[in-house]
Amino acid sequence: MSLTIDQSPPIRNALGFRRRSKATKAPTALSETFSTLTIGLPALIAFALLWEVAPRAGWINALFFPPLSRVLATLWEMIMSGQLGEHIGISLQRAAAGFVLAVVIAVPLGLLMGRYSLFEKASDFLVQTLRNTSQFALLPVFILVLGIGEASKIAITFYAAVFFLLINTIVGVKSADPLLIKAARSMGTSDWNMFKKVIFPSAIPSIVAGARLGVKTSLFSVIAAEMLAAQSGIGYLIQHSSLMLETDRMYAGILTLTIIGLLLNYLLVAGERRATHWHSSADSGPN
Amino acid sequence: MERIAVSELRKTFTLKPGQTITVDGITSNRIAVLDGVDLTINRGEFITVVGPSGSGKSVLLDVIAGLTEATSGIATIDGLHVTKPHARTAYVFQQYALFPWRTALQNVEYALEVRGVATAERREKARYFLHLFGLKGFEDRFPSQLSGGMQQRVAIARALSTDPQVLLMDEPFAALDAQTRDILQSELLRIWEQIKTTVVFVTHSIDEAIYLADRVVVMTARPARVKEIIDIDLSRPRELDVRNSDAFNTYRGRVWESLRDEVSKAQRDWALASSYAN
Repeated sequence: MSLTIDQSPPIRNALGFRRRSKATKAPTALSETFSTLTIGLPALIAFALLWEVAPRAGWINALFFPPLSRVLATLWEMIMSGQLGEHIGISLQRAAAGFVLAVVIAVPLGLLMGRYSLFEKASDFLVQTLRNTSQFALLPVFILVLGIGEASKIAITFYAAVFFLLINTIVGVKSADPLLIKAARSMGTSDWNMFKKVIFPSAIPSIVAGARLGVKTSLFSVIAAEMLAAQSGIGYLIQHSSLMLETDRMYAGILTLTIIGLLLNYLLVAGERRATHWHSSADSGPN
Repeated sequence: MERIAVSELRKTFTLKPGQTITVDGITSNRIAVLDGVDLTINRGEFITVVGPSGSGKSVLLDVIAGLTEATSGIATIDGLHVTKPHARTAYVFQQYALFPWRTALQNVEYALEVRGVATAERREKARYFLHLFGLKGFEDRFPSQLSGGMQQRVAIARALSTDPQVLLMDEPFAALDAQTRDILQSELLRIWEQIKTTVVFVTHSIDEAIYLADRVVVMTARPARVKEIIDIDLSRPRELDVRNSDAFNTYRGRVWESLRDEVSKAQRDWALASSYAN
């Protein structure tokens, strides 16, 4: 009995069990993160120090570049008073609304366009033309048509995200492995099941990658739109503070945006791994 | 008795625009792959098909599977003309064709799932077939977490889970290393002895063809016809060391003799094809 138990790991290896166990993987990932931090942190700290020292020493104008500590103090104040949270909430809401709308429209459309080449050929010119029209150039149009309110901001974020999603969905559908389609056909898969169980899952990695790009541009677009025409949101906060020469508030807004961007990127990468965990098991676990 | 009948089967492909081929002085944009294939396969028979590369063996399987339409001639299963994939036909491919986003168990379930088998029943059946191929404990692994040999076991389990009357196998072990290949050949035979379904197995390996088959079908170079059918009169169940026997050696010589001219013809063909490619 004990012999069987003792031998079980080598047998697994002989069968080609390629997955590294969690026990060996976790410390590796941790020490990798640690070494990335130790190598990367000094440059970041140096930058922060320079930001602090340069205005205090009078190397640069403290009116335009307030020291980091003052920016952080203002940031803290704004967090505590709740006004920063309000701005963040509004910006994220606008970006999310536009992005969700883009998903709802682009993914089904992309599935159709990827599957039926006539449909794609008929719409390709139009899509390419629209795609290469900047969402910022269209903001005045959105404002004219939709007014200065929420609708125009949602429209710009929608426009920013929709083409990433559409094109990646089309590419995903087209990249479905012909062998898998053939195998599915040999098993008597109906057209609908082919779509649902073969084509769509094949397209998911590409759709998720498109969504990642789309979320980012949605957020950046809403910030820009808020700078141009809004009474709230992080973009408005930055622009308005700049006009009022409240530069510590302005930098607090910029820092907030940086932190949101970093967090969002981290979340999106993690989400992408999760959605495609089966893709390559070597560098991402099933959960 | 008769399960599969292929008669006067012809298949021509049309080349891409701008491509032409010249055969015996005639230039055309169509290429003949199968040129009148006749073959009758009995119920429960294990047939292997050998022939030079590019001789249309896979196309023959595709026609029997109902995945490709013949240009002329017909393939029948139990007397019925095959026009679309048959519910009692299963196909195993060289590159496994497993869905990478499904676990081993879910992959086996797929074939039953699209047939509308209830969840509990198909799960039980899928588990049974995975265990039959020694994959107990690997049900929840994704294909990328399995070796090639294990992936092909999953694919064969998926094919057999639907209780097929006809099992088509297109060089299923060609991508595996020699040892794994030997093991899988024996496993396949062991399981086939129990279910005795009709198998059409395409291979490049003469040894594999003889070891597995009741009859070895030798195809000509493209455009393909059946050149010769060799009965393999070795007792079953077969052990791997049957390959060292004198009888096996004699068969090896016979199949190779039949195949040799076709391979050299095909190679001249390929030399010609590669000169076109440039």
